[in-house]
Amino acid sequence: MKLLEYEAKQIFSEYGIPVPKGALIRAPEEAAAHLPETGGAVVLKAQVDVGGRGKAGGVLFADAKTAVDTARELFAREIKGIPVREVLIEERLAIEHEYYVSIAVDRSSRQPAVLFADAGGVEIESAASAVRKVIVSPLLRDIPPFLMRELLGGAPKVLAPVINRLYRVFQEKDAMLAEVNPLVTTPQGVYAADAKLIVDDNALARQGIAVNRDLSEREREAEKHGFSYVELDGTIGVIGNGAGLTMSTLDLIEFYNGRAANFLDVGGGADQERVMHAVRLVASMPDVSVIVVNLLGGITRCDEVAKGIIAAGVAPTVIVRMAGTNEAEGRQLLGEHGYRMLESMDAAVRAAMEVAP
Amino acid sequence: MIYGDKSLGVIVQNITGRQGMFHTELMNAYARDLGGRGVVAGVAPGKGGREVHGVPVYNTVKEALREHDATRSVVFVPGGAAGDSIMEAAHAGITLAVVITEHIPVHDAMKAIAYARLHDCTVIGPNCPGLLSPGECKLGIMPAHLATRGNVGVVSRSGTLTYEVVDELTRAGIGQSTVVGIGGDPVIGQTFVDVLARFEDDPLTKAVVVIGEVGGNLEEEGVRSTDLPVVTYIAGVSAPPEKRMGHAGAIIEGGEGDARSKVRRLAALGIPVASRPSEIPGLIREVL
Repeated sequence: MKLLEYEAKQIFSEYGIPVPKGALIRAPEEAAAHLPETGGAVVLKAQVDVGGRGKAGGVLFADAKTAVDTARELFAREIKGIPVREVLIEERLAIEHEYYVSIAVDRSSRQPAVLFADAGGVEIESAASAVRKVIVSPLLRDIPPFLMRELLGGAPKVLAPVINRLYRVFQEKDAMLAEVNPLVTTPQGVYAADAKLIVDDNALARQGIAVNRDLSEREREAEKHGFSYVELDGTIGVIGNGAGLTMSTLDLIEFYNGRAANFLDVGGGADQERVMHAVRLVASMPDVSVIVVNLLGGITRCDEVAKGIIAAGVAPTVIVRMAGTNEAEGRQLLGEHGYRMLESMDAAVRAAMEVAP
Repeated sequence: MIYGDKSLGVIVQNITGRQGMFHTELMNAYARDLGGRGVVAGVAPGKGGREVHGVPVYNTVKEALREHDATRSVVFVPGGAAGDSIMEAAHAGITLAVVITEHIPVHDAMKAIAYARLHDCTVIGPNCPGLLSPGECKLGIMPAHLATRGNVGVVSRSGTLTYEVVDELTRAGIGQSTVVGIGGDPVIGQTFVDVLARFEDDPLTKAVVVIGEVGGNLEEEGVRSTDLPVVTYIAGVSAPPEKRMGHAGAIIEGGEGDARSKVRRLAALGIPVASRPSEIPGLIREVL
């Protein structure tokens, strides 16, 4: 789950990473109460979860006189379709130099990778070649000095402790990504001008995060049943077991020029009740006229699946392909209730295409 | 076959859980038919002294290995505790840990895999169905009845999609040497590169099916690393774009973890890419 900038900055601050003085406001008038004592300039940043926020108009600059009006302007905006409900108001930093630093999970080496560039800012992606990368053993608590020297190159040594604190955040907050872009030097010292933190969805519970905000309400409902579920915009409902097989079923629908309405992976060992909930959930989408159920595996009992489909009793046509224990019993049950069970996923998808071309 | 044969003893961690019990019996049924050793002991903290389908249970891996000759473990320990169990196995002398568990926090996986490597323990998974060398041995939860012995290796990030492909191959009369599910998580012990290297050293394996998914670039890495004839299939070409992992992810992965660009890059390497699972047997025949 991706944290918003102000949440990430709060955590950074707890770990001793300097962040600009600021406050979260929920109405434009509140800006007046959070102006810097020095009377200096401020930056107003929409707290919305979108990439390229600055370019999309989500970051505005102001001074003491214009802060409230500028905040009003920002609260009235939609940033890439998302309304602005919270704004972070911060003192504007006197930036000397911008750097880029991030720590991510490197799939290839199976270890944390720390990335650093002498030039931060919005164009970092196109400057990939200028980025230095070191791999740190996950068994170490800190980035060892020799790796830090390699990472920083000629950049100021004052950045090192800040990067080490970021590494602690990455480890202790179960982050998939901890990024500061830009990390800036000012006459007053080093600051994290921006902050991005993505927490591993498999570690939300131990991080004390109860609700995964990245999920829609229906997706959360699906999650309660243990399904992974994504809504799409087609007409053919899809229920599978295992992410790969379910994805492959969606691909096959596209291969035959159909449009899938959803992705629903029921997970391992689906029983009657889970199958029933899955079928009902998919059938509840208004555009769905046919549902392809594609289940395969050692644990899945086909008679249980058949009973679940029959118990769901939904209006859209349900076409089944399944293989596993008690296949013959399942086929018989489905046949008795007028459902079709086909031998292969190709055949099942083709049959669905005849119902919802 | 790769990753060892039926003569090697196996333990099951969390053998008293529902999945652990169920699959212990299935693994042992498979071993019995083939004269293999199968699961010789189980581990469940606090439950030492019990038996599961005739297999003795111990409190720790160390105790189990004191009483039994085993080098391989199948791990069914749930998410938050699984990392620790992998380290326990490696520390006690297990040399191959097959981790079925899903939802392991990625930091736990990174630590456990690094620790296991220090102890010369190979980790397959997490979030994987394990491996099956048809007619030889089975470690994990793959349905053995779909497979048949032959000379095509299968390596996959998926579970059920692997069974689908194995089923297609078997129906087409193409047997498998070993089928390996490496797991669908971002951090896994054995990647395509590692498994393909084992297949290269395996006299039985003449060609390999590589089954990939959206995310990362491990498929390309693997395919580039091997001289064996390879056929690939990538699931997820119709999937909406993955939520990008910020700039860092884009930089590490060259900005291209989606299935379509993956398919393009594999095709550019001259590798046959099936557009659906049912095309795989035909493509395999062409490279054999």
